Amino acid sequence: MALVSMHGITKSFYGVLANDRVDFAVEGGEIHALLGENGAGKSTLMNVLTGLYQPEEGEIRIEGHPRRLDRPASAIAAGIGMVHQHFRLVRNFTVAENLHLGWSETPARLARGALERRSAELARQFGLSVPPSALVRDLSAGEQQRVEILRVLARGARVLILDEPTAVLTPQEVVSLFAALRAFRAEGGAVILISHKLGEVLEIADRVTVMRAGRHVATRPALGATRGELARLIMGAADLGAAGTGGAAGETAQHRPSRAPVSLDPGAGQPAASPVSGAGRPAASLSGVVLRDARGIALLDGVDLEIRAGEILGVAGIAGNGQRALSEVLTGCAMPQSGEVRIAGQHFADPLAALRLGVGHIPEDRLRSALAGELSLAENAILRDYRAAPVSRGWRFSPREARALAGRIIAAAGVDRGDPALAARSLSGGNQQRLVAEREMRVAGRLLVAVYPTRGLDVGATRALHGRMQALRATGSAVLLVSEEIEELLEQADRIAVMFRGRITGILPAAEADAERLGLLMSGVEPEADEEAAWAGQHEQATASNPP
Amino acid sequence: MSGWTVQRIPAITLGVRLAAYGLALLAAILLAGLLSVGVGLPPLRLGGTILYACFATRFGLQDLALLATPLILCGLSVLMLLRVGLWNIGADGQFYVGATCAAAVGLFVGAPPWLGLPLAGLAGAAGGAAWIALPAFARLVLGVSEIITTLLLNFVARLLVDGLATGAWRDVHSSVTGQTQRIPIVLPRFPHDWHFGPVHAGVLAAPAIALLLSLAFRFTRWGYELRLCGANPQAAAYGGMPVRRRLLQAMLLGGAIAGLAGAIELTGTVHRLESGISNGYGYTGIIVAVLAAGAPLGAIVTGLLMAVVLNGGTVLQIHGLPAAAASCFIGVVLLVVALAERLAHYRLVRLRPAALAAGRAAR
Amino acid sequence: MSGLSGLLAQAFLAGGVLAIAAFGELLAERVGVLNLGVEGLMSLGAVVAIIAVDSGTSPVGGLLASVAVGLLAGAIFAFATVTMRASQVLSGMALTLGGSGLAAAIGRPYAGEPARASFGALHIPLLERLPVLGSALFSQSLPILLAWLLLPAGLHALFHGTRHGLSLRAIGEAPGAADAQGLRVLPLRFVYVTLGAGLSAAAGGTLTLAFVPSWSEGMVAGRGWIAVALVIFAGYRPWRLAGGALLFGLVGSFGYLAQARGWGIPPTLLGMLPYLVTMLFMIAPPLLRRGGGGWAAPASLGLPYFRDER
Repeated sequence: MALVSMHGITKSFYGVLANDRVDFAVEGGEIHALLGENGAGKSTLMNVLTGLYQPEEGEIRIEGHPRRLDRPASAIAAGIGMVHQHFRLVRNFTVAENLHLGWSETPARLARGALERRSAELARQFGLSVPPSALVRDLSAGEQQRVEILRVLARGARVLILDEPTAVLTPQEVVSLFAALRAFRAEGGAVILISHKLGEVLEIADRVTVMRAGRHVATRPALGATRGELARLIMGAADLGAAGTGGAAGETAQHRPSRAPVSLDPGAGQPAASPVSGAGRPAASLSGVVLRDARGIALLDGVDLEIRAGEILGVAGIAGNGQRALSEVLTGCAMPQSGEVRIAGQHFADPLAALRLGVGHIPEDRLRSALAGELSLAENAILRDYRAAPVSRGWRFSPREARALAGRIIAAAGVDRGDPALAARSLSGGNQQRLVAEREMRVAGRLLVAVYPTRGLDVGATRALHGRMQALRATGSAVLLVSEEIEELLEQADRIAVMFRGRITGILPAAEADAERLGLLMSGVEPEADEEAAWAGQHEQATASNPP
Repeated sequence: MSGWTVQRIPAITLGVRLAAYGLALLAAILLAGLLSVGVGLPPLRLGGTILYACFATRFGLQDLALLATPLILCGLSVLMLLRVGLWNIGADGQFYVGATCAAAVGLFVGAPPWLGLPLAGLAGAAGGAAWIALPAFARLVLGVSEIITTLLLNFVARLLVDGLATGAWRDVHSSVTGQTQRIPIVLPRFPHDWHFGPVHAGVLAAPAIALLLSLAFRFTRWGYELRLCGANPQAAAYGGMPVRRRLLQAMLLGGAIAGLAGAIELTGTVHRLESGISNGYGYTGIIVAVLAAGAPLGAIVTGLLMAVVLNGGTVLQIHGLPAAAASCFIGVVLLVVALAERLAHYRLVRLRPAALAAGRAAR
Repeated sequence: MSGLSGLLAQAFLAGGVLAIAAFGELLAERVGVLNLGVEGLMSLGAVVAIIAVDSGTSPVGGLLASVAVGLLAGAIFAFATVTMRASQVLSGMALTLGGSGLAAAIGRPYAGEPARASFGALHIPLLERLPVLGSALFSQSLPILLAWLLLPAGLHALFHGTRHGLSLRAIGEAPGAADAQGLRVLPLRFVYVTLGAGLSAAAGGTLTLAFVPSWSEGMVAGRGWIAVALVIFAGYRPWRLAGGALLFGLVGSFGYLAQARGWGIPPTLLGMLPYLVTMLFMIAPPLLRRGGGGWAAPASLGLPYFRDER
């Protein structure tokens, strides 16, 4: 009998059906993967299972008995525990405080020492090492995840739901996570693993369920399944043939004429429309760049890097090792304490100067940094272009021209239902990303700095974005692509740089890179002696062609 | 399963917002009406008296114009900060300081009227801007909430005026205490045969400034940048805008408008500096700004509306109600508006099995 | 009373009223809700206490009446901000304007009259003899004494020594995390905002029954706002808040001293002193230190909580 089973679950938001009569069941002693594109309804289904959402139709059974999970507490009581993709920890609390939060076994009167002792005991019991007195905000993502898992296990969970757990882990940490999951399975627990990393899924799961467009599509054993098969089920066979030609609004990568980069500063000179070879002056260069945060911690610790025109330079690394800082110094959002950053050999001191030198920026957190949620799409779309005619002449501003320009950008971005007067916040994440990407690519005459640009995009939009980046490269611009998906980097980039603790631990041509090597570099492991020499040689070559 | 469910909308249009405010006002008036029944006063007759007093007589219209001017201007002052996402709770204090500076010009600078008047106006504006400067610094450099700092200075400003009016600048020739002598600078009135009565040229300032602001917001780069800096300073910075500079400009301008309002009130209506020169205009300005939903021209309408409310308060005083009832009513309006704004973000959606099936079939 | 002792006594008295109001605000802010209506709550509490006492109730009854009206007003505010998730700033301003206006309106017949009954100074036999502190603290009136003895210690124990307090702090810091752990965010916020309002209103009752004691329009004179500022200045910690309130009271009593000793400071300036000092309290800390650390506001302060945030 299934440990947990869901029957006919239906849930909608703003009139959109997120779950449509979904059936799903998981047995004790199995690891069951739940697959699907973004928007397929996996997270919604799990939020229903954990009591966060209430379904409009359908029923949940625990060991055959129907249960109403109307609040998170009910789900916890029923033995269901979830580790979310974005951790639900109180960052300003210690690990011990987080572990004991909302737990009936916490003593009514607490003392810090007692809490920490109990936490250490729990860590020992479940074999997950965590530092009880540390503040959660000071922990790495892997450590935070361990705290989350420990917390769930301590509450007596028999069903462990993990939402994209490996997104923030190094390959080595993934290995230890999987070991822990296998141990949990051996004791009769059930694991529901939401992931879109098909390789990992095939490695660890016993069974696989695929959802698409809010519906249950298939459930099959993982043994014998292939990635291609799974991909077909996820995207629907028909779509696979049309790979690369983009989505509904007619926005296609290949059919778009490559756009001449807009130069906002007449004196800046046109970037060389050189072919993809990558020879010629660098689009951007960093030498000896050190950037410290307000507490004096080095975010960038002596970075030397050269980005060549007409190349896509990928940046790999676990989030939090300096990628954001790198993107900020390249776009003028942060000024290094020492060292030099140049775009096309020129200095710049603020985002406006960087913009004028032809730098576009797709930041990591688009709603916080790139868009004003309450303002309309039109007001957001012109954020980069509004200083130039015909939108502005001197101090004058023409709302009509602004709307027209915005309309063009929105249409080009392929945002469906993109009424320019709509508030940016009401768009889906994917549409927001499309808008930002389009807006930035228009101004990225020399360099596009894209930080996790395909996060939140489904397969179709991702392919379209990649196509646009390739087209941008063909015009001679450079692209700095920061990504947590090693596959994406291997596919798209010409070279891949790896960051660890604010330094570049290595740069490989994409052809010579693979997941294992990159993984080692991502963990800060020093490369082998002879390999090091080879890399050093490459680096010398790169810097020799254009002295900083 | 059929039934209703409530859905939350992340952002609402201006039309919906205005409709919500309108309904909120109606609800507040209804509540006031119910209350008056409870107290034993006939609500419809009272309402009629207020409306008659405001609109049906020449004196009423004149009073309305005089009252609406500081209200609209203070509303514009608050609105100026709202555009950049900040709260100006200190419009009252800036008003007082503006009046004080204008009084200073009038009492101590012996200038001919054609010079003295603009000088007084400028002094008022400068005073208001200066009064918001410290809260501006605290907010923009130190991150201290401008709500509390601007408000604290209200008390200081009122004490300042009190001190001057009863002390150093008091009118030694008058038996009435707590006021200065008559300020020699006076805003001109309209031609006698227009029968505008005590209405002075300063009433033109309110719609004029509202229009100017409206044009600036819509048709200048500065206006667009302000809006962005207020909505998301981080995105604005990333877009290359000088965020802090814009915020500072907005704050100083807001202070200046409130200060100018004080100067106008002094030289046009009251003619003496006294501690009662503001009737809570700064605080009422907050509701004027909120109801105007970000539109300077809208502030003209909402300012007039609030003038009717305050006038109503005076009328009700004749019927024995305390003056404070008006500010209590304004408080109730604020609360209902806040609720209505939140409610406007929800819509009722009918869940019908047929609709659900149709949704499925369409996919 | 010796000079220092007198100074301290005045400090405990004035600071005590502030402390009560500020601790009420602390309750609300610690669960993440900014209540800007303290001024209105104090006005209501003040006037209701006078009215109650005037109709024959004992001072304690008057104080309880203050608490009751505070709970009622607080519940309305909590409904608007927590349940309906309306703007906290607007709702707070509504409470301030509406509460002050209402208080002025119903208080008119009682304006200026001395309270029919009030809290007299207690003279606790042995403790009163303690040097300095003795006559300063232990000859205060009942509500002031109880406030200093119970509130800082009690709230500190609550927030930092109990499981319940841990839950409350989590709600203020990260309501999403608290919700995911099964804590009832909205009900708890509602309760503590209401309780805090009751306490703040009691501060108003203390004003008219122990401090002055009588009612006049505008007597609260911004104390409610100073209380809000004090909570920020104290970094949201109970003992620091007590210290801050006492410090503030000391500054005020210096003002009285200056007046009494005729040090030639113009009365206008003395009147401005409380507000200017509060400004200083607000500006000095960020000026003198870097970054948040133990002084930061609860991370979700001022933000409404929606469970299915999309």
